[in-house]
Amino acid sequence: MTDEELRLEASEWLARNWDARARKSKYDPDGGLKGWLKQTFDARWSVLRWPEEWYGRGLPDEQAKIVEQEFARVGATGTGLDRSHLAANTLLTFGQDALKRELLPKFLTGQYTNCLLYSEPGAGSDLAALRARADRDGDRWLINGQKVWTSGAATADYGLLIARTDWDAPKHKGISFFFIPMKQKGIEVRPLHQITGDSHFSEVFLDNAVVPAGNLLGKENDGWKVLQTALAYERLVMGEGAGERRQGSSIDNKISLIAMAREAGCIDDPCIRQDIARALAYRQLNALNLQRAKAEMAQGTSSPIMSLGKLAMSRILHEDARVMTTILGASSVLDGAEHPRAADVNYRAFNAYMTSIGGGTDQIQRNIIGERVLGLPREVELNRDLPFRESLAVPKS
Amino acid sequence: MSTINAEERQAIRDSFHRLLAETGREADVRRAMATDSGFDPVLWRAIADMGILGLLIPADFGGIGAGAEEIELVMEEAGAALLCGPLMSSGVLAASLLSYSSDEHAKARLLPAIGSGERIATVAITGDRGLWTPTDVSVTAVRDGDGWRLDGVASFVTAGTQADTLLVIAKAGSGLATFEVDRGAAGVAVTALKSFDRGQRFARIVFASASGAPIEGANEAAIEKMLDLARVALAGEQAGATRHVFDMTVEYIKTRVQFGRPIGGFQAIKHMAADLLIEVESATSAARHAARALAEGMPDTEVLVSLAAFVCADAFSQIAATSIQMHGGIGFTAEHPAHLYLRRARADAQLFGNSSLYRERYLSALEKAA
Repeated sequence: MTDEELRLEASEWLARNWDARARKSKYDPDGGLKGWLKQTFDARWSVLRWPEEWYGRGLPDEQAKIVEQEFARVGATGTGLDRSHLAANTLLTFGQDALKRELLPKFLTGQYTNCLLYSEPGAGSDLAALRARADRDGDRWLINGQKVWTSGAATADYGLLIARTDWDAPKHKGISFFFIPMKQKGIEVRPLHQITGDSHFSEVFLDNAVVPAGNLLGKENDGWKVLQTALAYERLVMGEGAGERRQGSSIDNKISLIAMAREAGCIDDPCIRQDIARALAYRQLNALNLQRAKAEMAQGTSSPIMSLGKLAMSRILHEDARVMTTILGASSVLDGAEHPRAADVNYRAFNAYMTSIGGGTDQIQRNIIGERVLGLPREVELNRDLPFRESLAVPKS
Repeated sequence: MSTINAEERQAIRDSFHRLLAETGREADVRRAMATDSGFDPVLWRAIADMGILGLLIPADFGGIGAGAEEIELVMEEAGAALLCGPLMSSGVLAASLLSYSSDEHAKARLLPAIGSGERIATVAITGDRGLWTPTDVSVTAVRDGDGWRLDGVASFVTAGTQADTLLVIAKAGSGLATFEVDRGAAGVAVTALKSFDRGQRFARIVFASASGAPIEGANEAAIEKMLDLARVALAGEQAGATRHVFDMTVEYIKTRVQFGRPIGGFQAIKHMAADLLIEVESATSAARHAARALAEGMPDTEVLVSLAAFVCADAFSQIAATSIQMHGGIGFTAEHPAHLYLRRARADAQLFGNSSLYRERYLSALEKAA
């Protein structure tokens, strides 16, 4: 099919099925997302780059982009899931055929949601130190252990789980990757309360939870490799979205720091002015850096800047909160609905840790930048080649 | 407005880079610093032949007619190589101030020789406080028959002992005006100031009834335009030097072995490097965006130029200082180049106004825009 034929097919199909003004399907009375995702899935628009055998069209990237442009032009969702759907992509690459047949349609049409069961209380930055165990029991696996920092656990249908299957292998070589059904009695989900008062995440307790043998992804004990692929998809999705959000937010904050200082009557304080200028500069520099990185990447040069974004953002958020606290002065001791400014600033000061700890701490980011961008020697890792049960990660009784 | 496209711009930069890689190496820089004049006349000639000194000079007067983006890129190379000599003073300050003036006679007389490097010029801007603000201008010009007489002091004059021609900014009546004064003229006393950056030649110049020829139209507006260009050029120099010092430091921590491994493998060092990379990239972004804004006359030019001024000054100072620490003992020796960059960084951080001043200017510009 030529590019033009493809563009035509997509635009005609959209014209028939998508109400661009109301931004909903013409045929689904509820106008819900799920109905629309089902329509795009049935018409094979969801995962264009995937093979035909697996619900795609086997299109090369350039042609897939043509269709995605047509969808974007009318504000329609439902395509590009071959880039954005983390669970589906991981499943396609590593899943057994029967499982793919069963789950892919449900994920791609939004019928099923998923959550990530990676981190544990004893395995944060050092994920390979995980101790949740999976033991083979006939045609199934029994899972025991605890996971943490899981979002969407209470509603998810499936969890992407890493658990240890060989305790005598070195830490990275005894891990397996599973799709675990979440709605079963061996799984208990408890909300985790953050320092901000929010509860975006849960703890997940696994007590003889059951995974059918067919839900193993990749080979037994080869789960670390599967995880790397899954994490790469996740970073791709986060990276693409994050740039836009960051740029968009720069203007809001410019107004708010200056406006806050005016309102607090300290806009003429030369110390505070220097502080505000510094904080606004961090934000603007991040936007300029991203702009330059995009321009350089468009010319085909790779840019180290993309790896700096998260570390830079963490500094921006902590610095914003610090300057806002200075502006408020004594009022920052207050809290509650009667003191919205103070409540907001205190929230920001605490929520900044979401960025400087979540998704890899600033310290881990600095390791990554040092090693992958600057080419500095890797951290020496003790116990890396030791049988896992002998490592310090396993408490000795 | 410059008509040079991105490819030509890169070609200018590349050939300047090659020239400095051949004849502007560390040993050459040290040799130039040790001379009385403070620069290498052969290299100066080569820079002129390449058209670098005429970048900002209109084609009508023998120059290339380039603008902020071109000079910014060229200055990145000059900064990386720690170039010594009056490029900033003659090729940026004097060339642009004259170009922005309306004095066709002065342009015809001075610009071709400035572009060819035969005449070295500088602009005397600030007084003893070294603020580079209009209120700090400490030379006064008064009419004397057909001519003008200048009295007062100009200090921190860059290339002050190297320049043949001084363009002196003076208070004249209610505003500022610019006067051409010959360095050797009667009533002009030039004192060399020993500079911490061995590659710069600052001077304090006392004018006592010195005769000056007014440059028509080199008024406050033209002076401000010159200073904007100088800020962008300096930001480029700082950004280029910042990247060079960073690369040199990363190279060192990859090869220096202690405790059985390269010290860059230690988080104490690795994390310093990761943090500095943000500053390196930010300095480059700030300098180049400021250059483009200035070249295209964008509405946020004042914001971006002010941002570049303090970001690049602070980045260069921070990286040059941290580099010595990361090098350890070798970085504390005079034979290692790290201190040469810290000297340059400390001098550059004061030129044309310090970071606090530019942070204030940045915020004021944002407030106006909001």
